[in-house]
This record gives sequence, C-alpha cells and structure tokens, in this order.
Amino acid sequence: MNSPLLIVDGVSKNFGDIAALSDVSIQLNKGEIVGLVGGNGAGKTTLLRLLCGVYRPTNGSVRFVDDGENKPVDEVRGRLGVVPESTGLYSRLTAWENIRYHTRIHGRDDEKSWNRTHRFAKSLDIVDELHRPTRGFSRGMRQKIALIRAIAHGPDLLLLDEPTAGLDVTSARKVRDLVRQLGDDGGTVIYSTHMLSEAQRICDRIIILHNGTVRADGSPNELLQMTSTIDLEDAYVSLTSDVARSNPIDKESTVSSILLGIFSRKNRTNDRGEDE
Amino acid sequence: MNRPQVVWTVTTKELLDFVRDWRTLAAMLLVPLILFPIIFVAVPMFLQGEAEELGEYSVSVHLVIDQDADMPTELLDLLNSSSVIVESVEANFDRNISLSNHSTFREDASLSIRNGVLDAVLLLRTGSGNATENWEYVIFSDSTDELSREARTRLLNQIDIWEDEIIDTTLSQNQLERDDVYDPVTWDGTVGDADIATTGEQAAFTFALFVPFIISLWTATSAVQPSIDLTAGERERGTLEALLTTPIARSDLMWGKWLAVAIIASASVLLQLVGLFVAIRFLAAGILTPPTVSIVGWILFVVTILLFAIFVVAVEMAMAMRARSVKEAGSTLGPMVILFIGPALFAQFVNMENIEAWWFIAPIFNICLGMRASLLGDVSYIHAILWMGSSLLYALVATGWASRQFNREDLVESIS
Repeated sequence: MNSPLLIVDGVSKNFGDIAALSDVSIQLNKGEIVGLVGGNGAGKTTLLRLLCGVYRPTNGSVRFVDDGENKPVDEVRGRLGVVPESTGLYSRLTAWENIRYHTRIHGRDDEKSWNRTHRFAKSLDIVDELHRPTRGFSRGMRQKIALIRAIAHGPDLLLLDEPTAGLDVTSARKVRDLVRQLGDDGGTVIYSTHMLSEAQRICDRIIILHNGTVRADGSPNELLQMTSTIDLEDAYVSLTSDVARSNPIDKESTVSSILLGIFSRKNRTNDRGEDE
Repeated sequence: MNRPQVVWTVTTKELLDFVRDWRTLAAMLLVPLILFPIIFVAVPMFLQGEAEELGEYSVSVHLVIDQDADMPTELLDLLNSSSVIVESVEANFDRNISLSNHSTFREDASLSIRNGVLDAVLLLRTGSGNATENWEYVIFSDSTDELSREARTRLLNQIDIWEDEIIDTTLSQNQLERDDVYDPVTWDGTVGDADIATTGEQAAFTFALFVPFIISLWTATSAVQPSIDLTAGERERGTLEALLTTPIARSDLMWGKWLAVAIIASASVLLQLVGLFVAIRFLAAGILTPPTVSIVGWILFVVTILLFAIFVVAVEMAMAMRARSVKEAGSTLGPMVILFIGPALFAQFVNMENIEAWWFIAPIFNICLGMRASLLGDVSYIHAILWMGSSLLYALVATGWASRQFNREDLVESIS
C-alpha cells in the first residue's frame, strides 16, 4: 500500500512573473485515492497538468516509479488517465468514437476497449448514449464520458480535475462510487476538488493546496488533529487563512480599490465643495 | 503502436470529424463541382437572356436633322427595322461649331433623356467630302441608363450599316470593289491552320497563363478553414488538453493533423480541377480544348502542387496554432493568404524567355513558374532542380516551424 507511484520533488511552476506553484513536494502511493483540495487559483489544475506532462516544471521534478526505477512522466504517459477541467469531447463524434480515439492512441485493441467502455458505461447508466454524437450532451453526461475515456485503456494512475463539477446529486454519487471502486480495485487516483465533503467521502488522503503551496497532507483525521478542529471545513479555513496571492482574479479587487480610491477622493473633494 | 499508426489514427479521426460537418462537406464538394458549370453555362445563358430581354424593348429617339439636308430614308428604314421609334425635327446648326458643342441641343437632350421622354437624341447634318453622301452626326445618350445605352448601341449599329452602304455605292461609282480598297494585302488560307502549335498545345499555353495562379489561390484558401479548426479550434474547445495528456508525441500529433488538412485541401483543389476540366470538356466544347501536356509535364505539375500544399498547410497550421482563439487565427490567416496569392498573381506576368534562374528559388514564384514551365513543356533540368529543391526546402522549414508551435507549452494556458 505504501510503495510510491509518483514523486513530486520541490516542484515550482512560474508563468512569467506569477508563481503558480512553489516548492511542492508530494508522494503518491499505489492504491491511494488522494484528494487535491484548494480554492480557485490554488494551483490544483497546474499541478495536475504537471503530473500528466502537459506542463514542464520550472524547478524540481516529477517522477513515476516503475519497478523501483524512476522515470520522467513523458515516458509513462500511456499509464495515466486524465479527466481535464474541460472535458474535451469532440461534438461531432459519438461518445464511443471519442473514447476509441484515445484508446487507439494508447495502443489498445478496439474490442477490448469496447468491452471496458461498455462495463463502465453500464455502471454510470449511459450505455444508450455511447453511439450518440456528444453535441447536446449535458455537462454531467460529458463528465461521465470523459471519465470513461480516461479509464478505458486501464491506467495505473487516474488524474481527475473536478470530475463532479456540474453534475446532479445522483450522477455525482455514481461518479464517486466508480472512483471508489477503481480505488478498491487497486487503482491510484488523484481527485481534484474544492468540495471538502466530497474529498472526505472518497479520499484516503487529502492534500490542501493554497497559493501554490502545499498547506497540509494527510488523512482527514490527521488534518483535524493537525488543526485541533472537529470539522474539516474549520481545518481548511485554519490552514488557508492568509490572504490569497495576487492572481488574475485579484485584478478585480485591484480595479475595485482603484475605483474606491477615485470615489473616496471625489467624496473628499465634494466635502470641500470643489470639483463638483 | 508505431508512429505512422499513431499519425494515421489522428488523421482518420480528423477526417471523420471533418466530414461529419455537412455544411463544410457540402461547400467542399458542391462549390467546386457547380462553380465552373455556372461560369461556363449559367453565366453566358443569363447574360444572353438579359440581352434578349433588353432587345425586345422599343427605344425612342429624337432625330434632329439639318434643315437643308434631305431626309436619309435608308437610315430611317434601318432604324425602324431595329425597333427604334424615330421622331424627326429640322434644325439650323451653326456650321462653325461641332455638333457635340451645340449646348442648346445638348441641354434639351439631357432633360428629355433624364425625364424618360426619350432614350437618345441623334443630331445629323450633311458634311463635306467626295463620297456619294457625306454626313456628320452625334448621339446624346446617358451611359448610366440601360435603355439609353441600348438606344445608342442600336443607333451606332444601324449607322454602321448605313455607312457601309454609302461606301459600297461610292466605290461602285468609281468602278472599285470593297476588297480592292480595304484588303489589297490578303492572308491566303486559314490563319489558324498556319499555327504550328496543335490546339492542345495552344490550350496548354492558355492554361499556363492562369492555372498556376488559381491553383495557388485554391490551395492557400482551401487549407485555411481546416487549419484553424484543427488547431486554434481544438485549443478553444478544450479538446487539445485531453489529447496532450495521452502518450502521443506532439510531433506525431502535428503530422496527423497536417496530413488531414493536406488531404482535405488536396481533395478540394482536385475537385475544383475536375470541375474546371469537366466544364471545358463538355460545357465549353468547341470554345476551349483540353490541354496537351506530356507525362513528365503532368508529373512535375502534380509534384509541384504537392510540395506547395505541404508548405502552405504547414505555414497555415503553424500560424493558426500560434493564435489564442479561432477569431485571432481567422484574422491572421485571412490577410496572410494575400502573401501567397500576391506573388502567384505577379508570377503570371514573368517573361519565361531567357528567365533568370533566381526566379525558380523565390518563394511562391518558384511554384507558379514551375507549374507554368510544366504545362508549357519548357522545362530545363536546372530550373526543375531549383524549383523542386527550393520548394522542398521551404516545405521542410515550414513543417519544422509548425512542429515547434505544437511543442509550445502555452498551448494549454492557465495559472489556476
């Protein structure tokens, strides 16, 4: 259970002047379901993109452990399954054609891929939708198809970027059950979410990411003990209580402060009876 | 799965995705197949129909004739036979000024024509000379009014016939034949038969004047939309990120997409060529002849097009991949097409006789001149090596550049 699968060692990622991730070090063990929890702009998506090789780290390294040997992610991308933030489905292709495209790139036989796809589609109640073009699919349906696409080739590590976002309660539960099932079958999953309750429900371990740094890494109980709280939400607030770093979202507050400054100056001049 | 299989997987998926868009498919299949039949059949038929419709109208003309002159009955008969309704009045013209400078008549004519009372006004007076009859005339008409223009045309046509009759009468009175006066040096035989070039070679020469340009135009324009859709479009729709997480190498992804765009653009150009040749062979038979080009000429022609397609598709895909959105890609590639078709247009006017070798290495010019030389059957080894070699080099540089664009990290952007 504790044999490492992925080692993130001192990884930083900068986009120009902005540090999206700073000195992130984590280890993922085989068979674990790890929750990656953080607010908007915390660095979850950047970290996931680094883990699957879409981004290259500015500093540090991401290594995949294969038979005791460290390998760069680019060499083992075929053993990853990813559900990105945008589901990335081709609307003119059917759900199955979307899935088949990825399994073929992974070098999998169509028949085997179909069997796996059919099995997962059954557990998510979407068998009838497999031969329909994905144009017009709901957000939830797209998420389910993207999830099947990510697991149809049988990955060793599954990276999920907010897989239940936009799903109704029943669909979200089915997705969580499937992820849990994959974990029980020995699969390793990184599950990015901003919902603590969801992470608590299915994850063995939770990593709290804030302002591009790892604030906590442990089981839900360990996080509670660490912060001397009885509720994970309180634990999260306690761990992330500092002001969010400057990022594009914060530009709004900068604009607001400029506007406030202008208005307050105007009010001051009005008070003096000038510049009306 | 080996690299060619991966590339082919990407290509087949892109082609499947492309043909599922029925609007694009219809535009790609139907436009080339109906464009030339429209140009060769529908447009002439339409123009003929419009001309016939205009010919059915009667036009009203005011004939203002010198009071001292006899009424030219031959001309009046001719005008009546061509549906020109003539109302004659006599007038006194000033001999010292030309008819067109008679401002009073000009103003009256202008008023009547603009009010729609008349379509044209013909001023006619006797002139000086040794013919049996000598006349001077002017026609006031409005070139922006269809009926007035038609009236002017009919008047000119009938006046020409009338003039011919006067010439014949004058010549006859002097015991002369028309050919003795107008055609004392004559071509003996049929002019066309003296051309040593076959009709097929003549057709190839004509084709060489415009086909390289339209092929450059078609290739450059038909690759734009698929290039954008497969690069900036994927990026914008978020499908690219999912693809980049798979084990596919980015260079393979680029080659797969490049091959798909190249197939789409080539199919489009081929269909347009088929449309053109069908129109020439069946619809414009007798007017245009299929060109006669040697096998080597055709091979060089096709290889040159292929090299150009490799170059154009790679450049357009690279540019589209640099764009952050479909809109940005469209506004970049639209004007960029001019960079391809501008030189292609100028290349049509380059004199091929004793042409300097450097023309065959200048980008775009080399392709167009290569195509011209292939069609004309006027290929020198040096020129062929230069245009093929330089085209291949440009194609390799372009694909290398496109490959670099696919390796950019900011294909997927975010700081969250």
